[in-house]
Amino acid sequence: MNKRVIWAGGVLFLIVGFSTMVNASNLNIFLEKCGSCHKEGAEAPPVEPADKAGLVWEKYFKRDRHPGNLHSSISAVELADVLTFLKNHAADSDHPVAAVIPK
Amino acid sequence: MKKTLLSVGVILAMATSVYAGDETVTIPLEDYRAIMNRLDALQQRVETLESSPQKTLPATEVKYDKVTKDIDHIYDSLDALETKSIKNKINFGAELRVRVDGYSGKNFNTINMTNFQNNLLTGMAPSQAMGAAMTHHDKINDPNNWTNRFRINMQAQITDSLQFHGRLAMYKNWGDSDDGTSSDLLNDFNRSHRPGSSNLWVDRAYVDWVPEGSPVPVAITIGRHPSTEGPPFELRENRLRQSTYPALLFDGENDGVVVTFGLDRYTGLKESGWRFAYGKVYHSDDDNNTGSPFPFLDDEEAADSTMAATFFETEIPGMENSLVVFSYAKIWDLPFYFSGPKLYETGMANTDVGDMEIWGVHLQASDIASSGLDLFLSYGGNKSKANGNAPMGLFGLLSSDGQSDHSGYSIYTGLRYTLPLESLNMPRVGFEYNQGSQYWFSMTMGTPDIFNKLATRGNVYDAYYIQPVNKHLFFRAGYMYVDYDYTGSGQHIGAPRESNATLENYYFLMDVRF
Repeated sequence: MNKRVIWAGGVLFLIVGFSTMVNASNLNIFLEKCGSCHKEGAEAPPVEPADKAGLVWEKYFKRDRHPGNLHSSISAVELADVLTFLKNHAADSDHPVAAVIPK
Repeated sequence: MKKTLLSVGVILAMATSVYAGDETVTIPLEDYRAIMNRLDALQQRVETLESSPQKTLPATEVKYDKVTKDIDHIYDSLDALETKSIKNKINFGAELRVRVDGYSGKNFNTINMTNFQNNLLTGMAPSQAMGAAMTHHDKINDPNNWTNRFRINMQAQITDSLQFHGRLAMYKNWGDSDDGTSSDLLNDFNRSHRPGSSNLWVDRAYVDWVPEGSPVPVAITIGRHPSTEGPPFELRENRLRQSTYPALLFDGENDGVVVTFGLDRYTGLKESGWRFAYGKVYHSDDDNNTGSPFPFLDDEEAADSTMAATFFETEIPGMENSLVVFSYAKIWDLPFYFSGPKLYETGMANTDVGDMEIWGVHLQASDIASSGLDLFLSYGGNKSKANGNAPMGLFGLLSSDGQSDHSGYSIYTGLRYTLPLESLNMPRVGFEYNQGSQYWFSMTMGTPDIFNKLATRGNVYDAYYIQPVNKHLFFRAGYMYVDYDYTGSGQHIGAPRESNATLENYYFLMDVRF
């Protein structure tokens, strides 16, 4: 019984460790790459994924509507991750439901 | 150019004309000739310009005109769209779930309530009447049970500080025609095509109001609440949080009011709030007494069951996508029957049997360290306070005689793991376990699984696999095994007895949300 538990724990540990390596955090990339300019008092206003629908975000970057030369500060892969994050939390995405907590 | 020419001419005329005024101006001949030559040159340039064809407007100017017109058209379109958007007061979404279940139950008893009532009317003692109406089942199977669940979700941002949420729902067995409202001419084949009733099931209808100018952040949530399928059920439901309350303690459609104080700015804790809730669990009116002229008024039988509760919740410091909730609730005057006086033909009125306290702690973390692993642990406790009422000497609060108080507990834990297989759209596997004690009681009658597994007085093992197809469609296959240690799981009346009953449930479902 103990051996089985140890084996199961080991397998779980390996799976989690492996997936930690392959899964980058889109949130962190969004915060790092977009948050440096998009914040209160900075050169660009704060941006929320829920400002637009997922498809609208996709078109926004496809049409190169972002002011300035975005490609000089963010790679194509990073931009794809940012877009994934924006779409996952876009206005038309699934949102948590509960009695609201005011800020 | 013409102006220049004209000016020179005027000056010259003024200078040379003896008729222009009383004075005569004399200029040297050379100057006169120079002026005349200059005048001729200018005249020639004017004639050349006037005789040359008109030049077209530069291309950029044409493009500018077009863009200006386009913008005007876009403004017109935007006006129409904005007007339409403002008139569209509610955003609608929908959910459809088709599920097939197989059930297998062993060693359990069922009571035929009609027979029970008839036995009472013949003068049998209640315990005898119940015994005679009871059937023991060694094993029972239903391998092919299909259901449809359809929901219409609604949301409206009425003002910056006022939001509305609603949900209408239908949930039925396939081909279900044998309920009390059916007839040979009105049944499941034509219920939506024949006049029937005005029924429309409202799962949720509430507003979140955040009063402006309040010195402390406060929100009032009032109506039919988001009180079903709470944390951590969203993991197995492959969606985000769906209820204010942890699923282990409260999972049911509930009317009430919740006042929430936001604490982020005071505590520095993200998503932290302290809630105070008030609601009604049971309202004792007379609407199942068909002879009553005022079925909607209080029937003066059991008292209303009211509930007051408080909750503190926050994100766990330093851990994104996490949640901890501390809960306490008290319910006063639980009734003998939530559904009213079913046994009214016996002349027995409904009554209340006592009070119940429920409390708990829920911990949850999703996508821990970006690993794809979600974990949760929930603990719940309850304590009854019987008031001495015990209908038929059998149905006191968590007891037969209504003379004793009891405490129970339950633990609920599990995990979900998102497999890093992009080729399979990141499928998920999950396992859950819960265990409830002899006197465990929870207000969880509205769980998505129809067996109310979190109320189990015994052990429950639950495993599932989620296969997403896209963001709107997923399939889930699962297996649940329930090993009951005591009878009456989910019931607040009667004394729990030892039990050997078991239940197996295997299922496959399709879920579409958009």
